[in-house]
Amino acid sequence: MNNGKKLFRDTRVYPVVFMLIITILFIGILATFYQLSLEKVETYRQTVLKKMVLSVFELPVNNIDKNFSKYISMKNVDDLNYYVAVKDSNSLGYCFPISGSGLWGTINALLAVTPDFKEIINIEIVSQNETPGLGGRITEDWYKKQFQGKILIVNDEVRLFKMIPENEKVGIGEVSQITGATASSKAVVDMIYKNVLKYKAKL
Amino acid sequence: MKIKEIFVTSAFTQNSVWKQILGICSALAVTNLMMNSLVMGLGVIFTLALSGFTISLIRNFIPKRIRMMVQTLIIASYVIIVDLFLKANYPEISKSLGPYVGLIITNCIIMGRAEAFAGKNSPFESIIDGIGAGVGYTLVLLVIAFVRELFGFGTLFGFQIMGDWWTKWSIMVMAPSAFFMLSILIWIINTPKKQVG
Repeated sequence: MNNGKKLFRDTRVYPVVFMLIITILFIGILATFYQLSLEKVETYRQTVLKKMVLSVFELPVNNIDKNFSKYISMKNVDDLNYYVAVKDSNSLGYCFPISGSGLWGTINALLAVTPDFKEIINIEIVSQNETPGLGGRITEDWYKKQFQGKILIVNDEVRLFKMIPENEKVGIGEVSQITGATASSKAVVDMIYKNVLKYKAKL
Repeated sequence: MKIKEIFVTSAFTQNSVWKQILGICSALAVTNLMMNSLVMGLGVIFTLALSGFTISLIRNFIPKRIRMMVQTLIIASYVIIVDLFLKANYPEISKSLGPYVGLIITNCIIMGRAEAFAGKNSPFESIIDGIGAGVGYTLVLLVIAFVRELFGFGTLFGFQIMGDWWTKWSIMVMAPSAFFMLSILIWIINTPKKQVG
């Protein structure tokens, strides 16, 4: 205090004040950007999800919002979310989110089954972090399509698939696994087994 | 210094990747697809230019002892802006880049330019320097991605180039090939100079 000529810049407080001001400034800018993009991000997430639910039931995906409210109803039981698809007053089946750990991270998917839970209608991968070009190929159509119409439950128990090498013809009860991505292929079938009974017991 | 000179120096003669061997981690990670490399490159150019500008603007006020903290804060803010922008407007690309956009923060090039250039030069020169360094980095990314995507997927920017006869090289999709490609590239570019010097 007695050194009146000492500049504020040279005091010990200056770096602290400087850092504080600049932090508040940049956090303010970021918060604004975040708020501005929040709505767009959420809308996109919803649209993608709705489109996926429609596509697993092979319903038209051209007018997503309209078709979604026409065919699909969202339900919730004991904190488990699921979707029911109804077309021409016939129940097409259930669709529910499943997840499991892949090689690098969590794989999230949607599984659609017939109303009696016996058959798989379709599977769609929502998010995954598998190796691009190897495990990442679980998002490719040929891989997902092979699950269509597969018998999943016999006598209230999950019937395990037989894993066969890629490029071999897939028979009843068999599933191709991706060459070089055994862990990712196994993760997908494991998460189907694990989740289907959980939902079957509740619905 | 002239603008053109600053640009050429930071983009080519003192290229961050092949001359200073900086920013290698991201060059290895995102170069399996051309599109990812281009977006990553644009993100880095944006961050370099604006963080350079901002740091240069306040360079006379930043206390010397905490300058790195300030630089990191500014860089991180711009990176988050890029990340949010991609998430909101180009969600598909944002998804395929995964965590790598956020990791631009750790890209040594940006911190390097902030320390070496923006802290000492005018804001406008810093923008040019940032764009130059970013362009140099993007070029390297695109060259590596060109080879990796062509051999690994048989495509370029997602367009099919190779026919059905092409057997995809799994190695090109995985990280090790990026090591090979990057070292070959650095080798080729630096060899003639060594002989002269």
